[in-house]
Amino acid sequence: MSLNKNMRVVIVDDYTTMLRILRNLLRQLEINNVDEANDGDTAYHLMQKNPPDLVISDWNMAPVTGLDLLKRVRADAKLKHIPFIMVTAESKTENVVAAKQAGVSNYIVKPFNADTLRAKIVSVFPAMV
Amino acid sequence: MSQSANLQLPDAHGYLDRVIGELRAIEAPHKNTLVSVLEYLSSHIRATRSEIGALRSGSGNPQMFSTTTDELEEIVTETARATNKIMDAAEAVEKVAATLEPGPANALMDATTSIYEASAFQDITGQRITKIVRGLQSLEEKLNALATAFGPLDENFVADTREGDAALLNGPQMEKTAASQTDIDALFASLG
Repeated sequence: MSLNKNMRVVIVDDYTTMLRILRNLLRQLEINNVDEANDGDTAYHLMQKNPPDLVISDWNMAPVTGLDLLKRVRADAKLKHIPFIMVTAESKTENVVAAKQAGVSNYIVKPFNADTLRAKIVSVFPAMV
Repeated sequence: MSQSANLQLPDAHGYLDRVIGELRAIEAPHKNTLVSVLEYLSSHIRATRSEIGALRSGSGNPQMFSTTTDELEEIVTETARATNKIMDAAEAVEKVAATLEPGPANALMDATTSIYEASAFQDITGQRITKIVRGLQSLEEKLNALATAFGPLDENFVADTREGDAALLNGPQMEKTAASQTDIDALFASLG
């Protein structure tokens, strides 16, 4: 499967280093339309203004966590259809279960590699060939 | 209300010592066992106060916990800075790779991908260190509460006993208080 290189992605992480890593890895996948946010609240307002095609978010952020953001997105009629990938160091079963119950599209555990990122992005757009 | 009901922890061993003295003066069977138990309690309270005092003073440093958390936060800052420099270099390599033939270009792109992937260590270590810092802060709060309950501990503080060359080992410096290379050069020059 190939990726839609024109998709607009919002990446969310409180570590600017991780945002830079994600942006670089996405650029290597030829995805260049990327917006960044340092926390869930900023990301949500960014999305409300201009809904993206994909959200890639960390979990452990304050004051609005990635899980909070996911729940807000899924409760928002305008945004609820957007694929949401959680990229996090939280890898306990209960975390994955909670994210799944909240409607996460896929889940990447840190540290991750470029192949995993690509595979998960492809997986949340099943109809795309 | 009795005296013992109003007893505060800071007075406890003094109170026990008085009770022990009074008990010793009483002619009563089995008093020695009770005196021994009270002496043990009094000595235990003294030792605990002393140990808490030593912990608070932290080998002569009254801010042991805050210094430790500052040091840990500095690690996060330093690793973030180093990681960003590494990524600066990787991005420069990636730009050069884009100008090359497909063979070497792909090899360089794979290498930069590995660098980006490996750079995630900073995020992981940062999160772990942040958890440790929170744990230390919580421990410090509990210890302070315990120390407050035991009363003033100044007389129990342990002084920094390091001498000579050993007393010079206090680095690495914290960035906010560190002397710059310019400061060092000026100092060095001023020493003739």
